[in-house]
Amino acid sequence: MDSVAQRLSTVGSANALELRGVTRLFGALAALVDVSLTVRPGERRAVLGSNGAGKTTLFNCITGDFPPSSGTIRFFGEDVTFFPPYERIRRGLRRTYQISALFPGLSVIDNVYLAVRGVSRGRYSFIRPRRNDTLVNAAESLIQAVHLTPIKDRLVAELAYGQQRQLEIALALAGAPRFILFDEPAAGLSPTERAELVDILSSLPAHIGYIIIEHDMDVALRVVERVTMMHNGRIFKEGSPQEIEADPEVQELYLGGGHG
Amino acid sequence: MALADSRARGASRAATQPNSQSAWLQNVNPAAVLVGVVVLIMPAIASGFVLTQIFGWTYMLGTIALSLMFLAGYGGMVSLAQMTIAGFAGYVVAILGVNGVPGGIGWPWWLAVPAALILAMVVGAAIGALAVRTVGIYTIMITLAIAAAFFYFANQNYAIFNGHTGINAVPTPVFLGVDWHDAIPSYYLELGVAFLCWLAVSYVARAPFGLALQGIRDNPRRMAALGFNVNAHRIAAYVFAAVIAALGGILLVWSYGEIAPGTVSVSAAIDILVIAVVGGIGNPIGAFIGALIYAVLKTFALDVLVAFGLDGNRFRLLIGLGFLAIVFFSPDGIIGLWARWRNRARRGSPRAQSTGGGHG
Amino acid sequence: MNNFIARRPVWSLILAVLVIAAIWLVFAPWSSGFEAIFGRKKLFLNAVLNGITLGGLYFLVASGFTLIFGLMRNVNLAHGSIYLLGGYFGYLAVDATGWWLLGFVVAFIVAALLGIVLQVAVFRRMEGQDLRQTLVTIGISIVLADLMLWWFGGNSYQIQTPTWLRGPMDLPLITAVKSSGETVYLSYPIVRLVIFLASVVIGLGMWLVLNRTRIGMIVRAGVDDRDMLSAMGVPIQLVFVTVFAFGAGLAGMAGVVGGTFQSLSPGEDTRFLLASLIVVIVGGMGSIPGAALGAVIIGLAEQIGLAYFPTYAIVLTFLIMVLVLAVRPQGLLVGR
Repeated sequence: MDSVAQRLSTVGSANALELRGVTRLFGALAALVDVSLTVRPGERRAVLGSNGAGKTTLFNCITGDFPPSSGTIRFFGEDVTFFPPYERIRRGLRRTYQISALFPGLSVIDNVYLAVRGVSRGRYSFIRPRRNDTLVNAAESLIQAVHLTPIKDRLVAELAYGQQRQLEIALALAGAPRFILFDEPAAGLSPTERAELVDILSSLPAHIGYIIIEHDMDVALRVVERVTMMHNGRIFKEGSPQEIEADPEVQELYLGGGHG
Repeated sequence: MALADSRARGASRAATQPNSQSAWLQNVNPAAVLVGVVVLIMPAIASGFVLTQIFGWTYMLGTIALSLMFLAGYGGMVSLAQMTIAGFAGYVVAILGVNGVPGGIGWPWWLAVPAALILAMVVGAAIGALAVRTVGIYTIMITLAIAAAFFYFANQNYAIFNGHTGINAVPTPVFLGVDWHDAIPSYYLELGVAFLCWLAVSYVARAPFGLALQGIRDNPRRMAALGFNVNAHRIAAYVFAAVIAALGGILLVWSYGEIAPGTVSVSAAIDILVIAVVGGIGNPIGAFIGALIYAVLKTFALDVLVAFGLDGNRFRLLIGLGFLAIVFFSPDGIIGLWARWRNRARRGSPRAQSTGGGHG
Repeated sequence: MNNFIARRPVWSLILAVLVIAAIWLVFAPWSSGFEAIFGRKKLFLNAVLNGITLGGLYFLVASGFTLIFGLMRNVNLAHGSIYLLGGYFGYLAVDATGWWLLGFVVAFIVAALLGIVLQVAVFRRMEGQDLRQTLVTIGISIVLADLMLWWFGGNSYQIQTPTWLRGPMDLPLITAVKSSGETVYLSYPIVRLVIFLASVVIGLGMWLVLNRTRIGMIVRAGVDDRDMLSAMGVPIQLVFVTVFAFGAGLAGMAGVVGGTFQSLSPGEDTRFLLASLIVVIVGGMGSIPGAALGAVIIGLAEQIGLAYFPTYAIVLTFLIMVLVLAVRPQGLLVGR
């Protein structure tokens, strides 16, 4: 564990996320090839590309589901290349999943409570939380932030799809996130829900940076300041949303005349 | 009705509700209170034979099965090594104390018992560390291999375990002027331990530790991405379960007055699984329901079989057939059967909020 | 193999040294000074050969177990009971007719029939429910064990080695050099060597079928992706039944082998189930070569342990399992 001083010295000077030469092979399949990426603290980035471009693999590598076959990953200046996921999460990384990764047998508040617990001490506590427990209160305010308070005691298995996606976001906001990976948060949402999502993303505190993977260009381009395009496991273009939208190569490969 | 649906959820949702800290007691079922009263006054009604053979066994085997239920129902890890840990603790108490095999280190019980519990925790951690190297169905395989290996070792090793004969003449302590081996005191001792363990498991299930364990059962990858060290948590669960199993094992060795490899045989290990599954691994009380059925069966199987003109020794055949019946028709055990019957009886009336009854 | 050497130079070196040491130990005569420390070479050679031939027996049992798991994801904890059942029926056949080979046929048929019934009547209805299937196999093992105890009692049954396989033969392995200069060679029971060779042949046969025939390709594809296979119109249930029957039949035949090598009695089912478990944990689940490697390792560990430190032999086997779990939990010959 770094000392506090070391940690503080990297904040402000270091990039939130820095990938250098990250390659990931699955047998003969090269899912990621020489990916280098730099995201500043508080920056909002979109990673776009067709299916199979390697976007989710990129997220899995950053989260720590598996180490890269080669290359390094730095999180706020710290080399986390071989850290297990929980070490990265405890340092401020968060993630949502394309297919909701929740606990169907537990209630909404239990789910959020676990998220809040995961990044606090006392994970092994044998004592049930009391009435005004800080973490329970934190869980409840998170639930309020994503407008799920009326159903906080319902089992996740009984939630509507849109509500589950909102819960996914609540889990990512638990504790003190410094950087979030949103994996297709708009997938399957209705237009109203999509507007709400854009709301939530835009109103996140300025110091929280994020990368968003999306197919829905409308949502993606509205909530980010920079776009990275991936194709066949490589990064092939980076620029501002306007630049990317206008780029002829990108249009040919992905936009096909219109976007949606 | 699938086995997966029998995942335990723990008692009322009070853990994260801003209620009083004893809210989890509020959902106690009147039927449960009745059972509690009956059980407390049982020595006044029943003979010494029934107390020892039926209820003693229910409490002791139920406690060991409870440790399996904790791991399987809340953690999704089916461990066949719980009887092994229980027997190991029994052996430690026998070896560290006074025993009939010349030897026996001669420690008093209040040293031997904590030592046995601590060693059991170490062994539990070791077994857990091995078992978490793989996932899912492999846990059964590995823990079964461990259980079998320990049985063969205890059977062959004379230096420590006294081999096939085992260790006999293990005295139950005389404490506070009471000989805890007598029928009534031992009944209350075993009841007390069983009750405390049941209480502990029910309570912990919704403490952060237990809740996290349930999360790990449902989605370990997600738990890792929430900041939990999943394997460390699982191993901690094995340690907690080891304490419970060890308590059951110590009671066993005091009750029998001896311990032998037969106590930790593969059949015995599997019987614990049978007890837990038949009762229902979705709820802590299931372990004791299963144990009661097992004890009744074992006591009366001989007479029943003979009455039907069958070979009186075919107790294990009955166990096996009964187990198969449960797995086929009600994989969530007796608890599941009862829950479904209760729901059917309630159909038509608005479904009441789930109270403590069905979920313990 | 070149790949292995390139990727793991240290392990390759260690293995090479061990192999050379093993070859020297087996083939070179031991000096009396050496024997004073390590015991008689004859004891060592017997232990090694007993271990390898026992490994052949373990392979027969474990390969069925690993095949059933590999394809159907079913941990068949009744496998030991099927071994014993096949053994008992094989004994009855041999005892009645005096034909040793008939024992194998009967054992295979009885075990395979049981396997067919189990797969069709039981496991087919629980597709995808791994835990439930395993619990069922546990229940079946309890029932079978008690039925066999009922029918055959607690006695030990020994299948007579047929006359044409009785007796020892001399192997080109030196046990000692007499003071007269005459070399003494190891004499070893023929039946054990024959059975070992048969296991090797069966193992190779299985490997060939799996890797060189169409049905084998279907089985391997099913191991990788069951749903895809049935989507392609392959009668997947038929494949399952065949594989289960074959795996069970192998275990049954192994029962006849075990009855000849050693004996059959209650408790042998647990013993061979445990052996299968450890063998596939070490070798890797779903891998036939893994079962072969694991079987030889465990057989050797058991017999060498029995020869040199009898009451702790099980500890050696167990330690090997723990070591593999710690270092390479998926098994020695299975990729991650």
